[in-house]
Amino acid sequence: MSTVTVEHVARIEGHGTITVEMESGVVSDVRIDVVEAARFFESLVVGRRFDEVSLITSRICGICSPNHALTSLKAIEAALDVEVSERTVLLRKLLVYGSYLQNHATHLYVFAAPDFVGLPSVFPLAQSHPDIVERALRVKKTGNELTTLVGGRPVHPVTAVVGGFTAEPSASDLVAMRMRLESLVADTVATADLFSSFEVPDFATSGEMVALAAADDYAIYDGDAAALQAGWSRPASEYRDYITEAVVGHSNAKHSTVDGRTFMVGSLPRINLSSAQLMPRAAEVLSALGLAVPSLNTFHNNVCQAIELVDATERCVAYIDELLEAGGSSAPAPFAVRAGFGAAATEAPRGTLYHAYGIDDAGMVVRGDIITPTAQNLGNLEADMRAFAPTIAGLPREEFVLAMEKLVRAYDPCLSCAVH
Amino acid sequence: MYWQLTSSGHLPDEYDVAVIEGAATTGEHIETLRKVRETAAVVIALGTCAVTGGIPALAGTLDYDARYGVVYGDGIAVARGRQVPVPVTSVIAVDYQVPGCPIDPAEFVKVLSRALMGLKDAIPVDPMCAICKTEENICFLDQGKACLGLVTRTGCGAKCVSLSRPCTGCRGLSPEANLPAARRVYADKGLDPAELDRLFDLYNAAREVVL
Repeated sequence: MSTVTVEHVARIEGHGTITVEMESGVVSDVRIDVVEAARFFESLVVGRRFDEVSLITSRICGICSPNHALTSLKAIEAALDVEVSERTVLLRKLLVYGSYLQNHATHLYVFAAPDFVGLPSVFPLAQSHPDIVERALRVKKTGNELTTLVGGRPVHPVTAVVGGFTAEPSASDLVAMRMRLESLVADTVATADLFSSFEVPDFATSGEMVALAAADDYAIYDGDAAALQAGWSRPASEYRDYITEAVVGHSNAKHSTVDGRTFMVGSLPRINLSSAQLMPRAAEVLSALGLAVPSLNTFHNNVCQAIELVDATERCVAYIDELLEAGGSSAPAPFAVRAGFGAAATEAPRGTLYHAYGIDDAGMVVRGDIITPTAQNLGNLEADMRAFAPTIAGLPREEFVLAMEKLVRAYDPCLSCAVH
Repeated sequence: MYWQLTSSGHLPDEYDVAVIEGAATTGEHIETLRKVRETAAVVIALGTCAVTGGIPALAGTLDYDARYGVVYGDGIAVARGRQVPVPVTSVIAVDYQVPGCPIDPAEFVKVLSRALMGLKDAIPVDPMCAICKTEENICFLDQGKACLGLVTRTGCGAKCVSLSRPCTGCRGLSPEANLPAARRVYADKGLDPAELDRLFDLYNAAREVVL
């Protein structure tokens, strides 16, 4: 029996090891060991006060920190029965899209692109394809600036608190950001063109696809959870009723199932479920690329991230227009501290993110529960690896490893989030 | 240059400058840190987790092993080799520190330049309150609201307070901080003095842990 092991898979967030066991050309076992150390965030919030939770959970991730902060704020607000203003929601959505620009630019260009041009990292890519790397940096930089504009800094937002914001961007800064976003559209379209030009294997996942969805919005901040194949839609706050988490021996991250099946979350499931809600330009790009949706090909997650970049730029321009025209206040809504329980979800760049908290009557957290996108994806990723490995078992070792790594990277896993 | 996150290559054998992020949370981390210290001419601890233990070090404030049960239950055993998170600075000697969660990139560039030129560490030592005054921020303590600027190491430009949010102490304890006096200020402002210590634990729970 021969074993192929890739320790500490490169160009993903966090540490994981791929192991493929083969017997005379037949694949007998495939797994991804998440060796990233356990972090116990669900217990770290216990005993801390409700208004410290978003500061703590934000530190789960350096990329999707706004999503962890906002999802915990939404859950705490549900527990305390706090209603936030429409203006607060608009600003929060901008914050989420800031992390989309940051995450998708980093994943596509720094983590994924080197695979498709046959380079070990982004640094030689900067030598051979400076235009591509400069474009990547423009997208990432705009993401940093958008997150900073609303949150006060590129990661771990300062201004987002229970009930609203402690400070708001000025109208002139919003106008400047609007211009920046408009000038970024060409870069995002070029990103979609580039990633659709990369050839991907013909492959279909056997798992379910789940994302937040809404009738009238591309749901990233609100919406019900929807399952593509089973066709159900359920309130995201009831996630414990439809997602089952289990500890598996080879991973410090738990695995999840819905209806007894592994499932995928992220850009591909979002576009599969909400392609009708894309902004006009993004819808145009989707149809021009000829990507048939719904698609069950996991490898399409990359190009869907690129389409979301197009959507995000156009959508944020619209949000900024709304903020500039509409009045209202994002100052924290008043509330009284009381005992309660609240659960909430948002769509982080890598997929649906769930948080839930129990609070006592002094406002101290007594229970915390978090399910990250990658924790949901890991079971499905492993199932995909198991199905995909035999189809490429004949390849020379190096090519086999690269193909397997491409599949892992297509999920854009964040193992640091997964072991939260 | 080698950056593990972005490259398919392996860890180098030696370093001119090693920049280390994060708290040490496993025995393997401790070993790696010691190995890097032996083979690196200069070590920079980057970010609050590496400097003070940061948020991960909260795990050491209650029964650490009980936390395992809360998250994973008592079935299949995982998370082998885990240990109470500690800052890099309590495992190995570091030459430079860049505190802050997140770091200020300009401060990092400054420290890296000093490291490359062989200059001494120039980490700010004063508490943050002085900066708040020059920024003309309205004092939270004067409004009877808890703020940690009294005891926290400056260098961030009082960013949070300038955005109308109290300082949460992410840059660690200022060596000039007078904790007993700060607790008296809390009492004078109608706040519970114990609240200062409770709040400060958020990013500094490991401040008394020495490996």
